Amino acid sequence: MTRTIFAATLAGAVMATAAARAEPVTLQFWDNQQTESGLSDLQKGAVDRFMKENPDVRIEVTTIPYPEYQQRLLTAVQGGNAPDIATLDQIWMGAFAAAGAVDDLSEMTGKAGPKRDDFFSGAWDSAVYQDGLYGIPFNVDVWQFSFYNKALLESASVDPQSLTTFAGLKAAGEALTRDGQFGIGLFGHKGEDTVVVMNSFVFSNGGRVLDETGACALNAPEAVEALTYLQGLVPYAPKGILNASSGDMRELFLNGSLAIEFWPALEQPTLQKSKLDWGFIAGTAPEGKAPVGTFGGWNLALFASSEHKEAAWKFIEFMVREDVNGDVVDLIPANKKAAEAFLEANRKDPATVMAHLENAAPRPLSPRYLELADAELRLAQEIYGGAEVQAAADAACEAIDALN
Amino acid sequence: MLWLLIAPTAILLTAFMYYPMVGTVIESFYQTSFINPRPQFAGWAIYEKVLASREFSEILWNSVVWTLGVVLLQNVLGFLVALLLNQGLPAQGLLRAIVLLPWILPGVVTAILWRFMYDPQLGLINSILIRLGLLEDNVAWLAESRTAMAAVIFAAVWKGFPFSMLIYLAALQNVDREQIEAATIDGAGPLRRLIDVTLPAIRDVVAVNVVLTMILTFNYFDLVWVLTRGGPQNATHIFPTRIFETGFGQFRFGEAAAYGVFSILVLAVLVAFYVIVQRANAARRHTA
Repeated sequence: MTRTIFAATLAGAVMATAAARAEPVTLQFWDNQQTESGLSDLQKGAVDRFMKENPDVRIEVTTIPYPEYQQRLLTAVQGGNAPDIATLDQIWMGAFAAAGAVDDLSEMTGKAGPKRDDFFSGAWDSAVYQDGLYGIPFNVDVWQFSFYNKALLESASVDPQSLTTFAGLKAAGEALTRDGQFGIGLFGHKGEDTVVVMNSFVFSNGGRVLDETGACALNAPEAVEALTYLQGLVPYAPKGILNASSGDMRELFLNGSLAIEFWPALEQPTLQKSKLDWGFIAGTAPEGKAPVGTFGGWNLALFASSEHKEAAWKFIEFMVREDVNGDVVDLIPANKKAAEAFLEANRKDPATVMAHLENAAPRPLSPRYLELADAELRLAQEIYGGAEVQAAADAACEAIDALN
Repeated sequence: MLWLLIAPTAILLTAFMYYPMVGTVIESFYQTSFINPRPQFAGWAIYEKVLASREFSEILWNSVVWTLGVVLLQNVLGFLVALLLNQGLPAQGLLRAIVLLPWILPGVVTAILWRFMYDPQLGLINSILIRLGLLEDNVAWLAESRTAMAAVIFAAVWKGFPFSMLIYLAALQNVDREQIEAATIDGAGPLRRLIDVTLPAIRDVVAVNVVLTMILTFNYFDLVWVLTRGGPQNATHIFPTRIFETGFGQFRFGEAAAYGVFSILVLAVLVAFYVIVQRANAARRHTA
């Protein structure tokens, strides 16, 4: 009797396993879309290709508009309905990792698959939190490139290459600001674009947001010098810096009343569609130093709640592959080889973009990044509003250090 | 039987109004954030932190200025326009429809419209003021601490005055014509008739309108958020924008809830005031 029951149970288990094998695994993949690039169709093609290569895995893609993406993800995680895989903004990595919402992928990359050398180092570092790797870089861009109006620079006899140095940019601002025309599109509204531009000037001057101990370094001499420099650019910017965004500056740039605007490389498609004769240089640094941009971009993360981690990892590996990555991103592929091909095909002066990407630094990977960025925003508004820089930086550091 | 009749309403009110409100009060005693999703009891610590911050006093002051500014201007303008539209002007129906337009527009659309108008470089406001010789140079209305609140109030008044106007117009049309005619025969001019006849006749409506617009204005979010996000610095931050920024921008739910509780307290006072005004009106009508 016992044998019969055992045999029946075993047979049942074998049949269940066979049925489970026959049933394809379904993965939920969430992504957001920042630009109008027809990305969804391209992603669909790549997903179909993955499913052909892996007939036992089905992928359901959910594309969510950028403004509501973070909230939807957080609600899903807290409600226990997280997707298997999702793209995460670099600045969210610390919070998701600290919350235990996403898996450490160090072991996976240790075996085979994506390696640090395949990606821009700053992008890879944006997924490293407390020695764990919580994402694989998916797409990237860098703040900021200085896009300039060739005609306006020529009429003011400004050499575009001079914009690469602190002194040159300031002199250009002075020469280009006249008769209802503005030199430099500085902005300081309450938005992340304000933070990344400020960071890139701090980085380029050898400063940092946090030091190696995690303490605020914005009041260190290099950072204060860069912030003082930025404050000195205010007279050459359009009025209303404290309520102006990169989008507002783009409007002025496109209508010819602004000579230089700060944007990442994703600005190129917009300018290519315009009638403007434009050029660009990669960031600005003191004489003799290389400009260091601030990385922006997204990483692919595997959620801790996923029941199909092996299949999910397979999908992540696929999406960052050299022959796939360029087809499925609306920024620049994080895979360096894919990026080279993408830039060659889609961007003006790809070598300059590539070099700036190679030299960019990530924003601090803090689990409380949003609060940290809020303190940085207040600092930016203080200095653009004319406050004493050292005192404003000290106050920002006090707020940031209090987060620890 | 009575309980059975009021039960559905009571259940709905409890589920959709009082439960979230009580939930907010409870949440304000707990530290919760995305990275610490399990609430940790913090006692009064969050309130102490909020009350000690410079931002709280700024937001409180801004909320007072914002609410009083909008309520005062919106009611005065609404009343004056109602007086005008009560004069039997030609094409009165069309005029009323035109005046109502700003109120019909969604708040976000209004905000975007005013953002364009206030634009320091391309905006209509600067252009008109410079042409009139009232300004020498462009002003960044929304980006300067000294002008941002006034600019936001002005936009809110533009959007809100038709609401007040509509209520005042209805009240003015109910003023006893015989009393006005009697005052005219007694030699009272338009201003005297307004002060001695019209205003006393509609004072109940004025009181209700003021309290209602106070409650609505204190809770206003979309216009301020789209125009300035509470900036520059904290110059236009009011309770609703601060709650949104803290809760959904930084995921500090405990702190957002604490701001929410202060907001509920202020609103409770205003609602109590509204109830008192309503009761006083009812008592006056009863004795009259």
